[in-house]
Amino acid sequence: MNTTVIELTAEKPQPAVPSAKLLKPLTGAEALMQALVEEGVETIFGYPGGAIMPVYDALYDYQDRLNHILVRHEQGAAHAAEGYARVTGRAGVCLVTSGPGATNLVTGIADALIDSTPMVCLVGQVAVKLLGTDAFQETDVIGITMPITKWNYQITSADEIPEIVAKAFYLAQSGRPGPVVLDITKNAQQELMTKSFHYQKCEKVSSYRPRLVPKQEQVEKAAELINKARKPYILVGHGVLISKAEKELLAFVEKTGIPVATTLLGQSALSVDHPLYTGWLGMHGNYGSNVMTNQCDLLIGIGMRFDDRVTGNADLFARQAKVVHIEIDPAEIDKVIKADAPVIGDVKEVLNRLMPLVNENDHTAWRNEFRKYDDIEDEKVTKPAIAPTTEKIKMAEAINLLSKKTRGEAVMVADVGQHQMMTSAYYEFKKPHSLVTSGGLGTMGFALPAAFGAKVGDPSREVIAIIGDGCFQMTLQELGTIAQNKLPVKIIILNNNYLGMVRQWQQLFFERRYSFVELQNPDFITIAKGFGITGHTCAQREDLSASLDTLLASETPYLLEIIVEQEENVFPMVPAGTSVADIRLE
Amino acid sequence: MNTYTICIFTENTIGLLNRITIIFTRRRINIESLTVSETERMGVSRFTIVIKHDSREAVEKLVRQIRKIIEVMAVFGYLNDEIVSNEIALFKIATPLGSKPLDIEYINKNFNAWVVYWQLDYVVIEKTGSEKQIFEFFSYIKPHGILEFVRSGRVAVGKTEKGLVEYLPEYEWEYYL
Repeated sequence: MNTTVIELTAEKPQPAVPSAKLLKPLTGAEALMQALVEEGVETIFGYPGGAIMPVYDALYDYQDRLNHILVRHEQGAAHAAEGYARVTGRAGVCLVTSGPGATNLVTGIADALIDSTPMVCLVGQVAVKLLGTDAFQETDVIGITMPITKWNYQITSADEIPEIVAKAFYLAQSGRPGPVVLDITKNAQQELMTKSFHYQKCEKVSSYRPRLVPKQEQVEKAAELINKARKPYILVGHGVLISKAEKELLAFVEKTGIPVATTLLGQSALSVDHPLYTGWLGMHGNYGSNVMTNQCDLLIGIGMRFDDRVTGNADLFARQAKVVHIEIDPAEIDKVIKADAPVIGDVKEVLNRLMPLVNENDHTAWRNEFRKYDDIEDEKVTKPAIAPTTEKIKMAEAINLLSKKTRGEAVMVADVGQHQMMTSAYYEFKKPHSLVTSGGLGTMGFALPAAFGAKVGDPSREVIAIIGDGCFQMTLQELGTIAQNKLPVKIIILNNNYLGMVRQWQQLFFERRYSFVELQNPDFITIAKGFGITGHTCAQREDLSASLDTLLASETPYLLEIIVEQEENVFPMVPAGTSVADIRLE
Repeated sequence: MNTYTICIFTENTIGLLNRITIIFTRRRINIESLTVSETERMGVSRFTIVIKHDSREAVEKLVRQIRKIIEVMAVFGYLNDEIVSNEIALFKIATPLGSKPLDIEYINKNFNAWVVYWQLDYVVIEKTGSEKQIFEFFSYIKPHGILEFVRSGRVAVGKTEKGLVEYLPEYEWEYYL
């Protein structure tokens, strides 16, 4: 088997040449490696095990072409692949074994589906003749992942591999992106292909035709509503970033003069400096941005899905407004909020076609109506949060200072909870693709692996993980991955010794009955040290600035633990199930 | 509650039935009947799923979610008056010595039902028709003693002039409702 590979390597010094024909028969495992190379995959996040060992054996000879990162738990591989995908726009790749290897991926796959993140998971499976016999480490991976994948498929023969891999990448990355699982039986990895290897990128699946170019009449109807509106309001979602349509969005916003808010995952699609940027939406979004959804006369949702964290009680959301909904996924139209003018298509394509049809306009007076809410929020929430007089450091002031020191240009990878909301609220995003966080699924433990995934994806950018003390303990073993691969990720733990968001809810809605939210934490710095990662703790306000400088100056991975006020709350807040108009500031 | 018939055209692949039914399960929609068969086009399967629902909007959303499955080519949701549909039922009726005799001629003429198999002490009667017609016959035959009864579930074709060929192979984003 090895001879084949050596000859193969000698014959093909430039393996990335497309549609290469390899004359010697390859094993399924070699075919898989070759397919990944030809697909342009550079990095794999994985963990070996019994049913995937033939693939790992083939990988041994492909180390010069495929950068494999050995994680410490398969969930880490999945989130790392997501982090990678979110900054590159290309599918993140996971390679794991059958049974527990596959089931450990499940959280990450579900996360990728709900946040439309392209991912290809290559999962080992017992040999085809053992399927259904409860063989060692056999799990029904296809059955388990069916509701949480865009597509999944069981490969049972080596010959299928090139075509199915190509299809998997195409499906994961096209249309509304999502995770794809390939369950590869061991015999398919081991056996020789019966035909010569030929890889052709997939460009079409006959039963799957995502509409990229919108119907002209839909565009015209949307343009008509936009031109007639007196108080239009744009809500920007993740779709703008997925479509890489930031420039088109900027041009559209500047021509039409319409104020803009983003969703959590839409953050950084428009620079916070832009005069028409009003803030972000949702349960902990900005005061004005939320309230004005109930005062505008036209809502223009672009690449977003009216999540319940954005709408609050959907029956009380924007009832006065007409709705233009620009979306690539037809199933999102009318799902939560009825659209008067749906436009199905890729955001970039839609905006390009809308541009000539919309009038140049100026909505300054309407934009200024947001400002009275901004002033109130500034006074009641923002100022006390970023320049507090409390004894302990506040999360908001730490994020705010970090934002200034990095000029808003870092990739922020936020975990889930109060620190996530604080990152979204107080980091002033200046560059697109700068917030990587688990939006839809709210997966605690996401940030540490996603951060090194993002760093691998774009080593040129500063990547900073903002993690709570609770979240950190869900995936902290990935410090090992960071250390082993020398990935200079900057990690900040905002430590309040609580599961802060749950505690906040218990305080506000459960009469302060703090039920199992207090944590006895380990010494995080010692733990990091054990993994070979340096770090220090900052507990005093006067040390905060210097501590952040040390973190940012480090050329190696660094962990900064910041001890923050224990019972800080995140405001504004739209309590679950209420109208966005009922937003609370305290 | 309205009855909706959902016709789904798919590639004939393993596991697709499961992928389709979990969309119903997740939304707590009960499947009243389900039939699957290959269509006039090779490799293309047709699912006919009958559900009852009080919200047309919810059914429309369901149809859109089904359409998202990669192997699904087209989905059509119909109300009863938009389709020609039928079911088949088999009745195994006890006919021991001395029992009340079956009036086969009456059954043929009035119910369009036929004896398709018989043994000494039972017969199997086939009845095709709507759900309502099948249950009318059920009431009639019940006093004779039903040993076994089975219904096929609905098969249906739409009343539009268009055939499947006109939707395929382009597989445009097309669905009714």
